[in-house]
Amino acid sequence: MRIRAAGRSTSPGEPRVSATHREVLPGIHWIQECGRHRAAIADALAASGSAWAAGGRALHVPQNAYLLAGERTLLFDTLSPAAGDLVLAALDEILDGRPLDYLAASHPDVPHAGNTGRILRRHPGARLVAPRAGETHALYHLDDALHVGPEDEIDLGGLTLRFPVATFLDAALHTWMTEETTRTLFPVDWLGFPHVEGECLQRTDEIDAEIGVDRLEAFHSRVMFWFQYVNVEVVRETTNRLARAFAGYALAPAHGLVIRDDPGRYFDLMNEVVTRVAASGRGGVL
Amino acid sequence: MSAPGPGPEATGVRSADAGIDAAPRDAAPSIPVTGDVAWIHECFPERGGHLHVSVYLVRVPGGNILIDSGSFYHRDRLADRIRRATAGEGIRSLILSHSDYPHSGNIPALRGEWGDFEIVASCADPEIQGLPYARRSRIGETLEVLGRPFTFLDPPLADRSHTTWVYDETARVLFVADGFGTLHPPGACDRFWGALPDVGRAEGVAEFHRQTLRWLEYVDPDRLLGTLERMFARHPVEAVAPIHGPPIAAADLDAYLGMLGDAVRAIARRRPDHTGKDGDG
Repeated sequence: MRIRAAGRSTSPGEPRVSATHREVLPGIHWIQECGRHRAAIADALAASGSAWAAGGRALHVPQNAYLLAGERTLLFDTLSPAAGDLVLAALDEILDGRPLDYLAASHPDVPHAGNTGRILRRHPGARLVAPRAGETHALYHLDDALHVGPEDEIDLGGLTLRFPVATFLDAALHTWMTEETTRTLFPVDWLGFPHVEGECLQRTDEIDAEIGVDRLEAFHSRVMFWFQYVNVEVVRETTNRLARAFAGYALAPAHGLVIRDDPGRYFDLMNEVVTRVAASGRGGVL
Repeated sequence: MSAPGPGPEATGVRSADAGIDAAPRDAAPSIPVTGDVAWIHECFPERGGHLHVSVYLVRVPGGNILIDSGSFYHRDRLADRIRRATAGEGIRSLILSHSDYPHSGNIPALRGEWGDFEIVASCADPEIQGLPYARRSRIGETLEVLGRPFTFLDPPLADRSHTTWVYDETARVLFVADGFGTLHPPGACDRFWGALPDVGRAEGVAEFHRQTLRWLEYVDPDRLLGTLERMFARHPVEAVAPIHGPPIAAADLDAYLGMLGDAVRAIARRRPDHTGKDGDG
């Protein structure tokens, strides 16, 4: 597995950056699994001649996990089994001797929860947190976890976590998360998009390119393949309601870059994405 | 015997077969579907009925092919059924519909017992799905597995993006992963879909899809149902073989599709109402 460095220097007063993680917002550490996994999507985009994908730079579709560190700590998602060593090492560096208090799985999908067992064995005091939504927790050995939903809050001491319904999702056993102090929404599989070599671990306001609808379409036409079967107006109405509910929140997806500036633009882009996918069909598989 | 491969790992850390609503171990280990395809199932008690967690066995001259591996929740019981259904011969190849744990959770254990048999997986990146050793299948292609042709189809009813439906060109059985499920009443666990009690059968179809495929709240029913109709026209079936419901014989398929259509329209009429921070939109 190739893990690329972030390609960004650290200077005084700026968030710490390393090859696999950085503190992207106060108390929110972004751990990224990046490389030429999912080469099919990269190859398809390169073949399509997308302007942003040109230039011979490698395309990445990342997995992200987020370590939230207040007085207590919580890891949201675990990266894929291919990055087990990476996530354990990143946790060691970030925690620096502190305990991991909670391990939360957004949903029991292998690229999101595939290192749960390893992390719990390394941090046996961590409490497993899982979505309350869904019906089959025991099939995933999540029946004994702390189940969370929209009515719940976890106070990390300086950071406050809530668990809104996962509005756009794959598995039914699923939750999104917000951190209310920084006003950050973690929309898991929604709002993912590929990036190119050199953009790893960069917020969208830190890269040269503007994220356009084609990047978001490349991801969602594969992962949310079911957009091809939807009533577009129902999805657009729902997206517009999300935009109002989370106006001003930074966006921290599981498969894209963190969006701090002008997040409202991305809700509009997603309305265009669903319109396109419903018209043109599935882009492929991921 | 080789060590188990890494495989997808349990999200929790408890032993298998904990707290199962047990059926007698001397029950028939498998139930014939058609030709050389057999159904092996366990059940999971859920709100609204029982949920099957099944695998299917395809017996070919070169050995036994398993479709999916079941949940680690049923690990010991499923392994016992497979052992008995194959007279101890075990598995030579496994075709995986997708890497979700109730479908892939027993791969390491089964490989531990029967060796590093071939895994055919649909995902674009087997490594990320915890299956670095898998042979990749691609949607739209036909692959020979132990000399038998299987065609991999884009699934209109699925949750994970890397899911594939698998069409057995020889037996004309369509293995449909998370689609075409039905919740069934206790006591009807061994019955084919057409033999389930009439009372509650439509509700079992509707409730399964409402619980499992949340995106149906956004669906345009005509788009979805039209795609299914075209798929069955191109790939005629003797049976449809879901993982989370009983097999559906060809003679019962129109009845099932009628109930599915009613269910999808009812789900779509509800409109999503959960987009707010507090869940009430």
